[in-house]
Amino acid sequence: MDAEATVGERVRAYAWPRAKLVGGAVAVGAVVGAALLAALVVAGGWAVVGAAQFAFALGTLAFGLGLLGWSGSAMAGRGFENMQEHLDTNTDWTEADSRRAMARVGGFGGGAMLATGVVEFVALGV
Amino acid sequence: SKRFIAKRLLLLVPVLFGVSTFVFAILHLSGGDPARIIAGQRASEEVVRQVRQDLGLNDPILVQYGRFLVDVVQFDFGNSYQVSKGNPVRQVLIARLPVTIELALYGQFIGLALGLPLGILSAIKQDSLLDHTTRIGALAGISVPIYWSGPLLILFFSGYLGIFPAAGRIGSTIFLDNSWTLLGMELPLTGMVTIDTLLLGRPVAWLSAVSHLFLPAITIGVYSMALVSRMMRSSMLEVIRQDYMRTARAKGQGAKITVMKHGFRNAMIPVITVVGIQFGTLLGGAVLTETVFGIGGIGTLIVSAINATDYPVVQGAVLTFALLFTLVNLGVDITYSYLDPRIQQ
Amino acid sequence: MSTETTDVGAEREERGRLQRILSSPFLSDLLSNRLALIGIGIILSMLLIAVYARVFYDLGALESSRLGGSFPDRAAPGWAGGPAAANELLFGTDQAARDIFRRTMYGAWIALKFGTITVGISTVLGVTLGILAAYYGDVTDNVIMRTMDVLLAFPSLLLALALVAIFGAGLWKAVIALTLVYTPRFARVVRGAALKVLEDEYIDATEALGAKDPRILFRHIMPNTLAPITVQSTLNFGLAIIDIAALSFLGFGAPPGSPSWGKMLANGVEFGLQSGRWWMSFFPGLFLALTVLGFNLLGDGMRDALDPRMQD
Repeated sequence: MDAEATVGERVRAYAWPRAKLVGGAVAVGAVVGAALLAALVVAGGWAVVGAAQFAFALGTLAFGLGLLGWSGSAMAGRGFENMQEHLDTNTDWTEADSRRAMARVGGFGGGAMLATGVVEFVALGV
Repeated sequence: SKRFIAKRLLLLVPVLFGVSTFVFAILHLSGGDPARIIAGQRASEEVVRQVRQDLGLNDPILVQYGRFLVDVVQFDFGNSYQVSKGNPVRQVLIARLPVTIELALYGQFIGLALGLPLGILSAIKQDSLLDHTTRIGALAGISVPIYWSGPLLILFFSGYLGIFPAAGRIGSTIFLDNSWTLLGMELPLTGMVTIDTLLLGRPVAWLSAVSHLFLPAITIGVYSMALVSRMMRSSMLEVIRQDYMRTARAKGQGAKITVMKHGFRNAMIPVITVVGIQFGTLLGGAVLTETVFGIGGIGTLIVSAINATDYPVVQGAVLTFALLFTLVNLGVDITYSYLDPRIQQ
Repeated sequence: MSTETTDVGAEREERGRLQRILSSPFLSDLLSNRLALIGIGIILSMLLIAVYARVFYDLGALESSRLGGSFPDRAAPGWAGGPAAANELLFGTDQAARDIFRRTMYGAWIALKFGTITVGISTVLGVTLGILAAYYGDVTDNVIMRTMDVLLAFPSLLLALALVAIFGAGLWKAVIALTLVYTPRFARVVRGAALKVLEDEYIDATEALGAKDPRILFRHIMPNTLAPITVQSTLNFGLAIIDIAALSFLGFGAPPGSPSWGKMLANGVEFGLQSGRWWMSFFPGLFLALTVLGFNLLGDGMRDALDPRMQD
């Protein structure tokens, strides 16, 4: 770390890569969620509201998994490492890796929820 | 350190947020129609529509999700559809929770009390007859399902020998008060019969409670013993193999014993961290054990709720299990941070 | 996905591989392991029983019949003071006067069949995910594997119960739920093995020659991960059988009349436990535990033979 870095620079150095990671995942999630919704409606012949609710629920699975995995990695990380070392073959599990991956998964789910939720909101309103 | 504990406590928020989100998905991904379940199969379309409206199932899903989260924070899952029809799920859960906690605690205790010494002995006397017996025993322990070992214990100790009761938590003729008094203050009971009977000062009832709990606790304890002993053996072997242990052993018997004691402390650390994760498996075992022994805890509740597609109860029970699991892991983590000073950053 | 190309070169390569496997220290290690041999013996016996029961017993009769109607319900085995001759009605009858012996034998078929399906599907899913993760690396790897790790941390029975709550009850649905529960274990093992293969240079060489992705994945990586996959499948076979039976025991798997071990144990607990009719729970459970033990013994032996770390 640069000793002369201003607070703003430090915050940016900390927040920017994280925001980029989660933001990217949210964007991908939103696109995939919308695509799934469109596929259900167009190809599957679902009603818009029903399809949105279903896609939303699928999104909550990813979102929940991401949240749980993210916090769980921090919480039980050492237990995992020990368990794998003593009962299983070694893997290269690290807490940081796991949290990054879970932030992606969670962001993806959140994006899907957001997109489908908004579409349903609009569809119900119209 | 306090900061460490505060940080861990803060982690509870995303964990429970995550589980609640999962639990929300259970209802919305399963095909069943809650309104139809509540109204009954023969209810008219009109009634079902009304129920649907009342439940808020016609609202936008984002609104439903938000409302669900707000409810969960208050531990409010609405009313049971079937299992305890019309009663608030929270009430049902609170009544049943101590039953499961009691069983799990005793089971975990027995698992550790049997598994740790077995694992240590097995490691110290590596490749001896005892070691092989223990390892095969542990293998047999995970091969015998709870829903077989439980019935066998009942058939032998209850049916054949007649020493222990076969089912329930306490003798059917024993009734416990709803509260106990300490220094003139009226206090609520814990709901755990082995503790309540002591608080009430009723030794006969206590004996009854203990003898009822004995077989289920052994059943679930032997199940968790297998993993603990395997883990302990592996961890202890690693410590024994370290250089300083070798030199200590060369110095003679006395030094060997002191070092073993020291080694035990080091070997315990990874085992403790795994106990937290293994507690989840133990809760799964509790579902089976409760069913075998006819104990009305969260485990049997979840089974009957799934059978009756009683979603609020399923949701509440799943979240309760997750809460238990998380709290145990939190406790494990804090214990661990005291044992291993390296992580007290 | 067609991996079956039958040109001569491939066949020769195949034969070479077989020979290598047969002469490998792995097999001789395994065969010198007494416990593993016992495991193999148990598994083969169960397989024999299963096939015999499947061929010669009528499932419909086992589910409903009263065995010619001559024996009462919940009768003790003949040799244990039951109403039949000593060599008849070996395991007694259940609450619907059905012959527990034949039902238990047929249970072997059900357990092995659904165990195979569960382990088979999760192996295929796990292999696919694991190889993809190893091959593409980076973000794909991280996201796939860490997700698998999180799923792995869930207690298997509780996760299966949550999935059953979504899917509903039934043997096939239970199998689907358990498939999802078991996939992560395979993915992890396969990824580890695949990474080792990728480290070998010859993959680089093939890649340089211009082979396309799927070809590398299926022709070079997958065959080399076979050994660890086999070990993992064996180890998980026993667990899968226990978990399927557990779901049946709780009422979410096999239908009520089914001669599956889990359901029979549920009957034993419901109708035989309080009255001390031990044979109703004892025999189905014994066969279940023996089968699982067989797979665990064999799996452990295989792991020891494969993993030099365990041998010192």
